[in-house]
Amino acid sequence: MFEVGLTHYIVLATLLFAIGMYGVIASRNVIRVLMSAELMLNAVNINFVAMNNYIRPDDMAGQVFAIFILTVSAAEAAVGLAIVIALFRSRNTVDMEKFNLLKW
Amino acid sequence: MTEKILLDSTIFWAFAGLSVLAALGVVFHRSIIYAALMLIIVFLSIAGIFVLNNADFLAIAQTVVYAVGLTIILIFGVMFTGDRSFQDGTVSRGHYVLFGIITVLTLGVLLRGSIFPYEITKTPEYLVAVLQTQGSTALLGQALFSRFVLPFELASILLLVAMIGSIVIAKKRFPAEDELLGKTRYDINTTSVLNPEAEQEFDEQFKRLVEESKPRKMRNTGADDISDEEGESSEMVGAK
Repeated sequence: MFEVGLTHYIVLATLLFAIGMYGVIASRNVIRVLMSAELMLNAVNINFVAMNNYIRPDDMAGQVFAIFILTVSAAEAAVGLAIVIALFRSRNTVDMEKFNLLKW
Repeated sequence: MTEKILLDSTIFWAFAGLSVLAALGVVFHRSIIYAALMLIIVFLSIAGIFVLNNADFLAIAQTVVYAVGLTIILIFGVMFTGDRSFQDGTVSRGHYVLFGIITVLTLGVLLRGSIFPYEITKTPEYLVAVLQTQGSTALLGQALFSRFVLPFELASILLLVAMIGSIVIAKKRFPAEDELLGKTRYDINTTSVLNPEAEQEFDEQFKRLVEESKPRKMRNTGADDISDEEGESSEMVGAK
């Protein structure tokens, strides 16, 4: 009954993913949107690592994929923050509601 | 055996509860700095989850890259975009009920899909011995440099491209460039980009303005430039 199985990890990852998704679509601060995107990526990493441990323990493919996700998310955060800084220079705010130049 | 299971489940529930609570804090806390600090707690507890799953190297990488590096970059971003009046204000956009419904529906679908029958593969004996004595880092390195060596090299190129790209995007532009861009933004009906004469004129004006706005040590003129720059800086202070 107490034993933690694969389902526990996947449900935990699902909860973190949903929290991150709410943050991405509902936050008004651009930097909070970036943070929530990182939460979603981490939830996916939990899935990869747990499935690697429970289903294919003799194969390191899940952990390798988690490392690639980590790399890509680091690159994404750097470029995202550069875009946020450029946006802040031109609009002088970080409010998502004010970034409406392409809205008609 | 039961003690091991009890210990495992205790550690799992501690890290899981901590990470979910801190993730809620990241999304809902009013202050963006506290949200960034709670993000560190999420990353560290996910590193704990990785340790429970025999991923030692990933736990350390998670701590170094996410909990230290990325959070520092995010806090730098918060400080560069110092909009205090907004940061402590509204957290959520207006349609939060709609967004909540979308999130709950997605959560339901994902939870429905996440409970499935699976077969636990028994870890082979030799692997148990390796994991108990050395950990999984050597195995991960072997996989990374044999089967996944091409994506590994591509990841390094991606990091280089992202580094150069973020520097170029976040670079401070010449004031003249901003001035010219602002002018064209307002005169968009009179300045035709397709007209070659206008384009040439634009180019010449741009070059002249860039030449004028170079830092003081790069050009060899005197006092009136200093007053120009003072005027500019006071304008900037006023704008902020």
